[in-house]
Amino acid sequence: MYPEKFLSIGVLCFLLGSVVCLLPLQRTKTYSFILSAAGALNFAVFGLFLCFGLPLTLSPLPISSVFELLFSGDGISGFFVIIISLVAFSVSLFSMGYTREMNHRGLMGFLFNGFILTMYAVLISGNIITFLISWETMSVVSYFLVTLDRGEESSKAGLVYAIMTHIGTAFIVAAFLVLYRYTGHMDFAGIKGASMQLPTGIRSAVFLLFLTGFGTKAGIIPLHTWLPMAHPAAPSNISSLMSGVMIKTGIYGMVRVNMDLLGQGAEWWGITLIVIGAVSSILGVLYALMEHDMKRLLAYHSVENIGIILLGMGASMMFMSNGLYSLAAIALTAGLYHTLNHAVFKGLLFLGAGSVVHGTHTKNMEDMGGLIKTMPYTGFFFLVGSVSICALPPFNGFVSEWLTFQSLLLGFESPSVISKIISPLGGAALALTGALAASCFVKAFGISFLGMPRSHHAENVKESSPSMLVGMAVLALFCLLFGLFPGMVIAIIAPAVFSLTGVPGMSPGITLISISETAASLSPAGILIAIAVMSVATVAFLFSVGGRGKSRYGDSWDCGMPSLTPRMQYTATAFTKPIRMIFKRIYLPKRELSVSYLLKPFFVKSITYSGEITPFFERYLYEPGTRLIHGIAGKVRLLQSGSLHLYLGYILVTLIVLLIFGS
Amino acid sequence: MEYLQFIIILLFSPLIQGMIKKIKARMQGRVGPGIFQTYYDLIRLMRKEMVISDVTSWIFKATPYIVFTSTIAAAMITPVLTTKGPFGIMGDVIALIYILATGRFFMALAGLDAGTAFGGEGSSREMAVAILVEPMMMLSIFTAAISVGSTNIARIAEAQNMVYSPSHLLALSAFVVAIIAETGRIPVDNPDTHLELTMIHEGMLLEYSGRYLALMEWAHYMKQMLLFTLGMDIFFPVGIHQGTTFAGLGISCVIYFLKMGFMAVLMAAIESTRAKLRFFQLPSLLGGAFVLACLSLLTYIMMGR
Amino acid sequence: MMKNWIQAFSVVDFISVGILLTAVAMNAVKRLESCVKIYTLNSWLLASLIAVVALMVGGEPHLYAAAAATLLGKGILIPMFLRRVVRQMKVTHDVEPYISNALSLAISGTLVAVVYASLREGIFVSGFSKNVLQISIAVILIGLFVMITRRKALTQVIGLLFMENGLFLAGFSLTYGMPVIIELGVLFDMLMGVIILGIFAVQIKRAFASSNLDNLTILKG
Repeated sequence: MYPEKFLSIGVLCFLLGSVVCLLPLQRTKTYSFILSAAGALNFAVFGLFLCFGLPLTLSPLPISSVFELLFSGDGISGFFVIIISLVAFSVSLFSMGYTREMNHRGLMGFLFNGFILTMYAVLISGNIITFLISWETMSVVSYFLVTLDRGEESSKAGLVYAIMTHIGTAFIVAAFLVLYRYTGHMDFAGIKGASMQLPTGIRSAVFLLFLTGFGTKAGIIPLHTWLPMAHPAAPSNISSLMSGVMIKTGIYGMVRVNMDLLGQGAEWWGITLIVIGAVSSILGVLYALMEHDMKRLLAYHSVENIGIILLGMGASMMFMSNGLYSLAAIALTAGLYHTLNHAVFKGLLFLGAGSVVHGTHTKNMEDMGGLIKTMPYTGFFFLVGSVSICALPPFNGFVSEWLTFQSLLLGFESPSVISKIISPLGGAALALTGALAASCFVKAFGISFLGMPRSHHAENVKESSPSMLVGMAVLALFCLLFGLFPGMVIAIIAPAVFSLTGVPGMSPGITLISISETAASLSPAGILIAIAVMSVATVAFLFSVGGRGKSRYGDSWDCGMPSLTPRMQYTATAFTKPIRMIFKRIYLPKRELSVSYLLKPFFVKSITYSGEITPFFERYLYEPGTRLIHGIAGKVRLLQSGSLHLYLGYILVTLIVLLIFGS
Repeated sequence: MEYLQFIIILLFSPLIQGMIKKIKARMQGRVGPGIFQTYYDLIRLMRKEMVISDVTSWIFKATPYIVFTSTIAAAMITPVLTTKGPFGIMGDVIALIYILATGRFFMALAGLDAGTAFGGEGSSREMAVAILVEPMMMLSIFTAAISVGSTNIARIAEAQNMVYSPSHLLALSAFVVAIIAETGRIPVDNPDTHLELTMIHEGMLLEYSGRYLALMEWAHYMKQMLLFTLGMDIFFPVGIHQGTTFAGLGISCVIYFLKMGFMAVLMAAIESTRAKLRFFQLPSLLGGAFVLACLSLLTYIMMGR
Repeated sequence: MMKNWIQAFSVVDFISVGILLTAVAMNAVKRLESCVKIYTLNSWLLASLIAVVALMVGGEPHLYAAAAATLLGKGILIPMFLRRVVRQMKVTHDVEPYISNALSLAISGTLVAVVYASLREGIFVSGFSKNVLQISIAVILIGLFVMITRRKALTQVIGLLFMENGLFLAGFSLTYGMPVIIELGVLFDMLMGVIILGIFAVQIKRAFASSNLDNLTILKG
């Protein structure tokens, strides 16, 4: 009884929130966000019920003589519902302050509530039709959100996004059609029961189709090109939702079909996912490093983290195909844990970026600097997000990457030689992306917040409004909690893992995880306590040796020259130059340097430096593809000659053909 | 007694640094500073007045404490004299590497905090070196971990196997290169100069003075001794005690200091016989070490030991 | 007693991995003299491997003869001759590869992985022979790869010599030493081949003022 009550109250909150925005009063717009926050809370409770209670199936709603809408939820849905609710709650709080001065505030509130509702609908769909309807509605609503400010950049981004997501949807529809054709069932429960009888070739084909379709939404390489265009173009609270939550629906789709519906697969499925995950994570963070637009940098990082999630999931599939179910449980826990963590810290980072952009009116990191003094709270929350995404203890990213490392190491237990070689190399790739991500966030945080302001944009900046800060604080708090209390999170993931692998997964303590197969254990809370105790001891020691400690303030060391200007600091481009040089085979950088002289060659008047890297996938994959399609379309256009007689001729020929083949 | 084994790393790391300096000096035909000079330097720094740039923020003031205490926390996890230390449950070798990465992250931020070009250069180069070193270090440690079946450092030390197998030796060579890169010694970085063209680690520390500088330097020496200990635990754990008896700990202590002495001589020898590499030649060196680590993994897969 | 000592310290494994390591290191060197040094090291390791196996197996004195012949021929004579040829080159001593050192290192690493992965099952020998067989095939492939990706004639010769070392090792691991006559014959052929190739290299250099094999493409019909 109770879960449905929370579900209906939640839906009601969101619907009311959208409707309220259409009224012309100004104050009601704030109410809509409060309603969406309340709705998110209700859904969170509903999700918890799904996790710990029984799977739930609502009665089907017929919408035509053939099709019916069916909503059902189980442990997997419940976990993802909780993820959405956490982020949606915080973003709603943030949006109250963020949208105060926006133009299309009513439209934003209406679409915002609708967007979140459609994402929930995707998660609790129980049959093909419901899933596809919710999926499509989600894509359409998000398109309108991306193009909300009607600018040129966002229109182009919206177009690319709409095309890519529909290509992905086409693959998903095709895969579902194949499934229906071979199993005869529309609902997921029926498909799951009948899936073991499918012939192997069909199962592999369905796996690949779903991988491409859901991969487009999730943003794996090479289907990722819409991500860095669409996420920055949208308003920051929407970017936070899109990057934090919407791409997780792609992961949900993969988990649902590839693991739940299709059941056990061949070993190469898992290995393919591991390879795609490793490539996506490395390339994603490499491109993120070169960006100095803060939101594009964060968008590329989403590509990287999706890669890490796929590493965990691929290892899990590989173990399942070899029958090692307890190891599969560990790997799946790692993948799902990272999904939750990424939603939380990426949501936080985008909100932080939104706060910064809102205050400084520029997205370019090269114009910022010294913001930690003028926006101290935003700086602190952005720092929490950065430390979490770099997987540093004691925050949440550390736990999920540690679990991913452990599951990749355990990959050595599987019998085939290929997995013995690929798993540790996957671990090395994960270590590489960890180091690259750390470098990227030192740049992102350091150049934007530290040092001196590099332009007038960053000089007279005010801190953001309290509602924005509260939204960020909630997510930052969860970053810390999920890091210190991993047992809590693993308990929430356990029902999903059990339903997929048949093993109850790990049974950790509240603050301690241990993997019995490898006798490795981790306690981030312990590390934090050790650090805290040692800090106190250090302060006491310094006091005893050196006394109170005098200090005075002065200028930074400037080699005795007249005082430093902000232009003498390191820029973002300069910071990443060594990395650009090391990986120059991947980046293919070009640069142009022109010098103008007062008196050659001694007195330089000005130096102009411009550099760019080659956008590899855009130039070598997508542009030839678009040219090909244009060419074909041009040829097809010849059919449309405008002559009435020709059209009548087409009709005649078609009728004759139908006559011959229909009889 | 086994609760306090990390104190050894805390207390004796300046001595190890002093020893390396002395041996290096002797090899280069100089007299060199006394081996206890590092202690005197640290105490002197702690008593001096600090000059803090007014461009910096709270991160500058927090970083020395974060770096120092995180290195101590990493030392707590490592078995120094005995494998039955109680703190090993807090983390394993992967946790240790990431705890050290936390220190590096904040040091890099502190380098950017002062708004100087030196700090920016130090941070940028330090992160680039980290990118090259991390995969190689992980892979060589993985090979050892896979052979034991665990990443728990105490468990690897207890297994005491495979000291004499080729894959172990290859992984050890890769790990030695990783130690050189992480502790900032020649041929990766020059720890003795303060010229901007040749410093990576010193660049990030340039703005620090007084007790903050003492903490950062001490943390650097601790990290060095910690990496030596880790290498010995994983690749040459002969002689480490596996219980908590007083006699056993005593013997283990003597053997431990012999091993540390050996590492000090090795580092000094490498530093005295090589020149510092240009920064953009580092990818070749560290890439070659990565290939060594890969070969060690492949050899382990092939030979089974 | 010696046997137990060898077994305990798995000397055989160390030496065979050393042979593999020198083959891989061939990709990383930049100067011609270093190439010759690495080849010398490889041959010495090969000779010592034969000697150690002879010690362990015992009772097959022709193995000692094979070790001595390898040491003399491949470890001393051929490197001396190659060094003379390098000195006569006089001008550039750089190895000029078609692809960068880093990439060729990566590719040879992948070759080693491929060899290990494919030869995992279905070999009719086991234990020491299997390990050495896998390593020898890897050395052959790496030698061939080195021949493909280097420009200078002399590096081609050295690549060929590596291949021959690998072949000999493969044969040795399967049969514990081919009959001595055949081995001596092969060695003699090798020596002749190297001398002729070396003379050709100097002649090519004199005719074209460079030993870059790309220039041979002028000789088209």
